[in-house]
Amino acid sequence: MNYLRPKNLTELTRTLSDASAATQFVAGGTDVLVESRQPYFSKPQTLIDLSRVDELKSISETNGLIRIGAMATHSEIIAQPLIQRQAPLLAQACAEIGSQQIRNRGTLGGNICNASPCADTVPPLLALDAQVEVLNEQGLRRVAMQEFFVKPYQTVLQKNEVLTAVYFPPLPDGYGSAFYKLGRRKALAISRINMAAVLKTNHHGIIEEVRLAPGSVFPVWKRVAAAERFLTGKKITDQNFMQAGQITAQEMIKISGRRWSTPYKEPVVAALVKRVLLMAAGLEEQ
Amino acid sequence: MITVSLTINKKEYTCEIDPQTTLLELLREHLGLTGTKRGCEIGECGACTVIMDGLTVNSCLVPAFQADGSDITTIEGIASNGKLHPVQEAFLEYDAVHCGFCTPGMVLSAVNLLDNNPQPSQEDIRRALAGNLCRCTGYQQIFDAVQAASKKMKSKR
Amino acid sequence: MSSFNIIGKREPRVDALGKVTGAAKYADDYNLPHQLHGAVKYAEYPHAEILSIDTSEAEKVPGVEAVLTYKDVPGANHFGLIPNIRILADDHTRYLGDVVAVVAAVDRRTAQKAADLIKVKYRELLAVFDPEEALEENAPVIHEGGNEIVHHKVRKGDVAAGFEEADFIIEKTFKTQPIEHAYLEPEAALVYPDEHDGFTVIGCMQNFYTSHKVIAAALGLPLNKVQIIQSTMGGSFGGKDEAATLVAVRAALLAQKTGRPVKMLSTREDSIRQSYKRHAYKLYYKWGCKKDGTIAAMEIKAVADGGAYASMSPFVTWRSVVQATGPYYCPNVKTDVYAAYTNNNFTGAMRGFGSPQVNFAIESMMDELAERVGVSPLQIRLRNAFEDGAETATGQKLTHRVSLKEVLIKAAEASDFERKWREYRSEANRTKTFPKGIGLSCAYRGVSLGAEGVDAASAVVYVQPDGSVTVSAGIIDMGQGARTVMAQIVAEVLGIPLQRIHFLEPDSGRVADSGPTVASRGTIMGGGAAKIAAENVREIMKHTAAVVYSVSPAHLGFRDGKVWDDNGKSSRPLCTFEELTAACYARGKPLFASGVRHVAETNWDEETGQGNAYFTFVYGANVAEVQVDSATGQTELLNFVSVHDVGRAINKATVEGQIYGGVAMGAGYGMMEEFIQENGEAKTINFDEYYILTAMDVPKMKAVIVENPDEHGPFGAKSVGEPAVEMAAPAVTNAIYNATGRRVQNLPANLEEVRLGQKLRRNVQRASVACKIEPK
Repeated sequence: MNYLRPKNLTELTRTLSDASAATQFVAGGTDVLVESRQPYFSKPQTLIDLSRVDELKSISETNGLIRIGAMATHSEIIAQPLIQRQAPLLAQACAEIGSQQIRNRGTLGGNICNASPCADTVPPLLALDAQVEVLNEQGLRRVAMQEFFVKPYQTVLQKNEVLTAVYFPPLPDGYGSAFYKLGRRKALAISRINMAAVLKTNHHGIIEEVRLAPGSVFPVWKRVAAAERFLTGKKITDQNFMQAGQITAQEMIKISGRRWSTPYKEPVVAALVKRVLLMAAGLEEQ
Repeated sequence: MITVSLTINKKEYTCEIDPQTTLLELLREHLGLTGTKRGCEIGECGACTVIMDGLTVNSCLVPAFQADGSDITTIEGIASNGKLHPVQEAFLEYDAVHCGFCTPGMVLSAVNLLDNNPQPSQEDIRRALAGNLCRCTGYQQIFDAVQAASKKMKSKR
Repeated sequence: MSSFNIIGKREPRVDALGKVTGAAKYADDYNLPHQLHGAVKYAEYPHAEILSIDTSEAEKVPGVEAVLTYKDVPGANHFGLIPNIRILADDHTRYLGDVVAVVAAVDRRTAQKAADLIKVKYRELLAVFDPEEALEENAPVIHEGGNEIVHHKVRKGDVAAGFEEADFIIEKTFKTQPIEHAYLEPEAALVYPDEHDGFTVIGCMQNFYTSHKVIAAALGLPLNKVQIIQSTMGGSFGGKDEAATLVAVRAALLAQKTGRPVKMLSTREDSIRQSYKRHAYKLYYKWGCKKDGTIAAMEIKAVADGGAYASMSPFVTWRSVVQATGPYYCPNVKTDVYAAYTNNNFTGAMRGFGSPQVNFAIESMMDELAERVGVSPLQIRLRNAFEDGAETATGQKLTHRVSLKEVLIKAAEASDFERKWREYRSEANRTKTFPKGIGLSCAYRGVSLGAEGVDAASAVVYVQPDGSVTVSAGIIDMGQGARTVMAQIVAEVLGIPLQRIHFLEPDSGRVADSGPTVASRGTIMGGGAAKIAAENVREIMKHTAAVVYSVSPAHLGFRDGKVWDDNGKSSRPLCTFEELTAACYARGKPLFASGVRHVAETNWDEETGQGNAYFTFVYGANVAEVQVDSATGQTELLNFVSVHDVGRAINKATVEGQIYGGVAMGAGYGMMEEFIQENGEAKTINFDEYYILTAMDVPKMKAVIVENPDEHGPFGAKSVGEPAVEMAAPAVTNAIYNATGRRVQNLPANLEEVRLGQKLRRNVQRASVACKIEPK
C-alpha cells in the first residue's frame, strides 16, 4: 500500500495524475476509517493524506465571498467568529455533528464528499448558495453545491479530483437563518431529518427572499423551489409556514413515492419546515 | 511500511507501521499503552479518547500517519510523578468509576474541558462528555466529579 | 446508623485507582509472547443444515496455525442450562451468530482473511422469527422436541368468577423489544497452555464457574486442569455469561490444538452479532376491576422470544410468571408465560431478568385503571399496593417489612408528583407543541435466584501475619461495586480501615463455586459469605485474645484498628489489631477462614405456580418527568426520581451509582434502545445504530435510599442492581401519556411510536420464510 502526503496544492495536483479507483483520499478519517470496516470496502492501493496541505485548512473572506478550506474541521468552523457572524446556521449545524471528538477531526470537505443524504453541513451550504471548488490536473473549477451531488453517497468528483474549498456569500444584514436537526438522541446522532433556512423579510413582515434546504428528504440534495416560490411575497405567519411545509412534504412524495417511512416523514417534514422558518424569523413556536 | 514519530506523554517515539494502522492500534498493540480502550472502533463510544495537540480525538478514527509529529496525551500521562490529577481524584471521591472501561476516555475529555473552560456549566459538561458513552453510571456521578474537580482546581489557582 | 464504623459510609471503591490511571487490566490488555489471534467464520443462513465444511483454502494461508470445526472439539461441543448451545455449529445453523469454524493465525487480519476462505455447503431450511408463529403447529422445528422452551403457570382463585364479579374489564396487548447489554468492553479472552498439562484462561466471564465447567468439558479435561482468572470486567449486566464463555472456549480449543497462547477478541460487531439479548415479549393483559379501583381478576399471557438457544429462558420467564401481577392484591389470577425458539439471536440473562417486560405491562395497566376510576396514578397504586403480611399471586405470605407504600409516597413527594400530574393532564398543556408529562411506576422484586436455583456463595478471608487482609470471593465485580461492598463488610467485622483490605482477582482454584453473580445477589449472598468468613476469623482472634489478656471472649470488640474489652460500662483497648494478629500466629493460629452463605428455604409447585418463590423481596418506585415534541414525537427526559428500599445501604455512593445507572439503562429501554433484526440478520451491530443514552440525554436524577433492614441480608442489606433498572421504562411511557393522552403499548417510545402510535419497518418481518442472507 502506497502512502502519499502532499504538503501543498502543487504537490497535491501532482499526485492526482496517478489517482485511480484504488486511490483513497483521507481527510479527517472519521468516515473513511468507519467505512473501511464494512465488508464491501475494497482495500485501496494508494492513500493520499490531505492533512498536511496548508491551503486546504484556512477560513477567510475575500472578494465578498467566504472561503472555507475543505480540511477545516467542524470545531474550527464553530469557533470562527466570521462564520458565527456571517453564516451562523453553518456553525449551528457543525455544532450538532457527532461529538466533540468527531468535530475535532471531521472536516467540512469530508462531510460533503461522503455525500450522505443526512449530512448536516449540506443544508446550510445549500441555503447559503454555496459553491464548491474542485481541483484536478487542469487546475481549479467551481461547481454549484446543488450540482455537486449525483445520488446518495456519490458526487460529481472524478477519481482524479479532489474538493479543495467551499465558497459562499456572507449573509447580509437583515437576513435571518436557522438550522434544525432531528435525531434519535441529542448527541452522536445521525440526522433523521435536518433542515436549513435563510429568510429575509421587509419591515411589514413580508417575505422578500427565502431559501429552504431539507436533508434526508430528497434522494438528491436540492432546495424546495416550490415552497420558496409560495412563500415569496407572503407574510410570515404560522399558516404560511405550515403550508410551505406541506408543499415540501408533497414534493418529497412526488419524487420518492410513498415509502415505508412516509407515514412519519410526511407530517414531520411539514412541521419541521414550519419550525425552521419560525426559527429563521426569530419567532417562538407555541 | 511507513515511519511515524510522535510524542506521547512527553516521551518521544518512532515506529514503523503499516499505513492501515490506527492511532488506537499504535498505542495499544505497538507501544503497550493499554489504558486507552477499544470499544467500538467507529468513534461512537469514546473509550479510546486521547488528547492530540490539545484536542480530544477518538484514536480509533485517527490514521496513525496523521499523528506523525503530534503531541499525544493518554490516560497514562494524566497523573504526574505519582500524583493524581484533580479530575482523577474527584472521580474516585464521587464514585464516578464503576466498571472503569469508559473511565480513561472520560477522564481525558473532562481534563480537556477544564483546560479550556475552567468553570463549565452543567450543560458544558454534558456537551463535552457526550462523545463518551458510559453504560454503568448514568453519568450523574461523573458530572458531579467534573464539577468538583473544577472547584478544586479553581481554589488551587 | 451510628453503631457502624464503615457500613453505610461513602467509601471510595477499593478497585477504582487502577481504573483512573489506566493501570487496570481488562481481558484484551493481557498479551503473551508468541500468542496467536483467533477469528471466526459465521453461519450464512439463519436456519440451515450444514452439508460440508471445506477449510482447505484457509489452511493454506501463510501464518495460519489451526482451523477448527465441530469435528475437532475433543470433548463436549454443547452446553447451557438446556445444553443446546453449540461451541461450533455441527449439523445445523440456527441463527446468523452461529460460528461454523475458528482460525488461529499470527495476527488478526491473517486469521480473518483465512476465515473468509472457509467454504460451507448448506441446505437451507424454513426459518421462523416470531415466537408466536414458532409455537404454531406447522412451524419449522428448530430443536428436536419442538419450539416450546418452557411454559410456566400461576393459578390462584377462580378467574372466571373474578371477571364475573368485576364492574369493568381492561384488556390490552403490549410489546417489548430485544435489547443489547452494550457493556462497553467487548468480549475477549487469552488462553495459554501451562506447565502442568492444563490451561489458564484469562477473560471477562460474568459467571466464571460456569465457564470453567464448559471449557474443561470441551477440552476433555478435569476441572483442576483448567484455571480461570477473572480479569477486570468492563461491564456485563447479565451479558457476559454464555456469550463470553463462547469466546473463551473457542480460544481454549485453539490453544489446545496449537499449544500456543491464543487471544480471541470480539469486535463490537462480533459482540452484538453473536451475543444474546434481552427477551422480546408479547404480553396480553386482561384485568377485571371494580369501581372502587380494586382488581378482582387478572388473566395474563406472555410469549417470550427465546431465539436460537434456550440459554436462561426457563429462569427469565419464571421470574416473569412470579412477578407478572405486580405488587398488587388480586384474589384470582391465571398467568401463562411461554418461551419459544426462533431463528433470531438467542436471548438470555440481562439486568432485570424477565421483570422489565412485565413491569411495563403492569404499570401501564395500573395507569389505565387510574384513568378509568378517575383517581391519580399514586392513589390507585396506594389502593392496591401490598402491605405487611400480604399474600402474593403465588400464595407467598410476605413476612418481611413491605415498604411499597413508603417508597411510593417518598417518590411522589420528592417529585411533586400529584400537583404536576394534574397540571400536565390539562388541555392547556396537552395542546402545546411541547407538552410536559410526569409518570409514576413501582415494582417489587424477589431477591436472588429464588426457588428455581441452588443458591449458595463462598468467600475466603485471610489476615496475613502483618495484619493486612486479603479477601477472595466467588461473587465478581463487573463494575457494580461488589468488591467494595464485600471489603466494607469485612472491615466492619474486623474493625479495621478499608485500606487494610486487598481484594484478590477471582480465580476458579481459590474459592468454592459460588454460583453466578446475577439476580442482584452480590451483596446479599457474596456479602453474606464475606461476613461469615470474617466472623470466623474474628472467632479465632477472640479466643487467642481471651487467653492472652484473660478476658471473656464474649466481651471483645473490634473497632478503630484495636481490640477492646467492652466488659460492663467501661471500654478499654487491649491491643492493636496487628498485635493480636502477631499473637495468633505466635501461637500457631493462622488467620484464614472461609464462609459459606446459604439461603432460607424457598419452594415451588410447577403445576399450580404456588409457593414461596423468593426468600425476601425489595420495593421501589420511579417518577419520570418528560417533555414531548408533539410535532416529531421526540421525548426529552427532564427529571427522574428513583426510590429504593435496599434493606441497608452498605455504601451509599455505590447504591446511588446503581440507581443512576439503572435509570439511564431503563429509560433508554423505554424510549430509544432496540436491537433490530430483519429476517434474522442483526442490523444494529455497532453504536452508530444501537443507541444508548449519552451524557446529553440523561435526565437530572435524584436517588432516594430507603432502609428497612432484612434479617436475611448482611447488616440487613438486600439488593439494588436490578430493581434500579426494572421500572424506569413504564415511568417514562406513563409520563408520555400524561403529556399527550396517548398510551405507548410498544417499546421503545421512539419518534414514530410517539408521533404515530406505531413502529415503522423497512422490511415487514415475515415468519416461516426461507431466506438467504448474502454472504459477507
